[in-house]
Amino acid sequence: MFDVYSPSAALRPQELEAVYAISRAVAQAKDIDPALDEIIQLTRSVFIFDNMVIHIAHDGGMLEPVYARVVGRGRSAEADLAWGEGTAQEAYRNVQTTLEHEELDGWQQERLALRDFLGLPLRTGEELMGALVFGRFGGPPYTPDQILLAEFIASHVAQLMGRRKLVEHIANLEADRKLTQLQSDFIATVTHELCTPLGFIKGYATTLLRDDTTWDENVRREFLTIIDEEADRLRELIDSLLDSSRLQAGTLQMQFQNVRLDSFLRDITMRARTCHESVNLALELNAQGIMVQADSTRLAQVFDNLLVNAVKYAPGSQITVTLDIADNMAHVVVHDTGPGISPEHIERLFQRFYRVPDTSASVRGTGLGLYICRQLVNAHNGEITVESRVGEGTTFHIYLPIQQVQLDTTIMQEVIQ
Amino acid sequence: MSTKILIVDDEPRYVRLMEANLLTEGYQVIPAYNGQEALNIVTNQKPDLVILDIMMPVLDGFTVCERIREFSNIPIIMVTAKGEERDRIRGLDLGADDYIVKPFSATELLARVRAVLRRAQKYDMMPQQSVVTHGNLRIDFARAEVFRDDRMVFLSATEYRLLLQMAQNIGRVIPSEKLLQDVWGEEYSEDKEILWVSISRLRQKLEDDPRDPKHIVTRSGLGYTIPIIE
Repeated sequence: MFDVYSPSAALRPQELEAVYAISRAVAQAKDIDPALDEIIQLTRSVFIFDNMVIHIAHDGGMLEPVYARVVGRGRSAEADLAWGEGTAQEAYRNVQTTLEHEELDGWQQERLALRDFLGLPLRTGEELMGALVFGRFGGPPYTPDQILLAEFIASHVAQLMGRRKLVEHIANLEADRKLTQLQSDFIATVTHELCTPLGFIKGYATTLLRDDTTWDENVRREFLTIIDEEADRLRELIDSLLDSSRLQAGTLQMQFQNVRLDSFLRDITMRARTCHESVNLALELNAQGIMVQADSTRLAQVFDNLLVNAVKYAPGSQITVTLDIADNMAHVVVHDTGPGISPEHIERLFQRFYRVPDTSASVRGTGLGLYICRQLVNAHNGEITVESRVGEGTTFHIYLPIQQVQLDTTIMQEVIQ
Repeated sequence: MSTKILIVDDEPRYVRLMEANLLTEGYQVIPAYNGQEALNIVTNQKPDLVILDIMMPVLDGFTVCERIREFSNIPIIMVTAKGEERDRIRGLDLGADDYIVKPFSATELLARVRAVLRRAQKYDMMPQQSVVTHGNLRIDFARAEVFRDDRMVFLSATEYRLLLQMAQNIGRVIPSEKLLQDVWGEEYSEDKEILWVSISRLRQKLEDDPRDPKHIVTRSGLGYTIPIIE
């Protein structure tokens, strides 16, 4: 059934023209698939075929079709990648051009049943990549000239496939490199963040421990306060790191229960006013009785964080927390009238360890807060977004699915100043 | 007049920490919270020592160190983060005299400051009269000036002290440990890294081909020497 052909014939002028065009298409190819399409188109002008399939070998030598075109008579039948698969395997295994002739039952009635397959190994240099098969239905059989031409085309397809493999390989390497870079950046950032408070604790503690000098009571208190605050900062940082890694791994334990958002936000804002006495904070409840499924501790962490950010990065500004309903979701807005954030930083605000460069020096922060906020809101099946204008302020929108609205709901506006 | 020390760190708590400790030793302290401010102070107030943090926004410590070295040989101590080997080498490479690693203790800070100031002081007070010539190199001990092909070479205090140790002993091999002890201080005798970087910087400045040095020659396993020219 199979026989092997050794080409010897020469190309005719019009074939040479196509051959030249194919070479050029390969040389100039930027993307692999359009280049393949072009080659197939050019091939059709000098070489009749009804279908063609490119098979690429995987580890272990299994061939897998990666590209197929059905033209001419092949179009009347459903494209079938299995056509010529045996020929492809034979060409690949023997690394030789392989011809196969099939006559299926009932071929007298159906031209599609009379099939000539031409299998060509795909290789670049020493590397054997797979095989290319041309199928022709209802003859005529392949002539030596055509086979020579097909071998030429196969060598060019092989070049393209080799290039694709390289591109994929480079992309994989690049992805690996990025991942490694990300991990080492993460470690560097964590180390730096942990070392900063540690450095203060060590520095001020050893200052107080110096036995060659004495400190007056005020200075002692000042240094001890710094040590105390930095120890707190260290603990916060460790908590945040644990939260963020648990959130990333999906192992943070959440305890969901019904939470009534209006009273919840009242508690949050009241606590914020206690913690930050000078804060100018207003609560507007435009919807009442909204119940959401939430882990109240974790949800409180989200709003606490947003309010602390507003106090830190927009000091003295008016902060407004608003609750209403938007698109059937509970919609909480945390708005400040601070300096705002420029557009290039907005997209990256929720990234782990991202901090707006200008503020990093003057305001303490880990770059984890908003990352954790987004992860926590996501864990509530909600969404958090941000918009900001430089000089006008920053607005965070939190959307949470409504569990139910209590029947005594009355839409009213309440302003607690 | 008391010794003026410029502290450059964007973290006010580090500035405060260093200031509090240095003041007890009778030093005068000038604080700076960014690189630009530091450069202005070095230019206008001529401090005796700079303690320079590396991690600062806008103008980092490396850049500041490099710029200072363009016009001044004032002693510089770089403050680096733990584990950043490359930063330490880079700081020394750019002409810093020493480094201190965060987190550091108060006593360590004071010891480093004393050691660096001691080196710088010896540089100023070296009571030498003579001039030594070695090939195209001329060292004027009285003026503490070094010339290569009659052009003055700009050396940091540490580099000059290192060259001096060898120039006073031409033809003798001086062990690395001895150089470290004499130039940097007892506590540095194991710190070969700091010596290599300084030797390499000296060669960059003094040798026609630093890879094939004629003035400062390594005697493998023994130390360094300025060989006698036959």
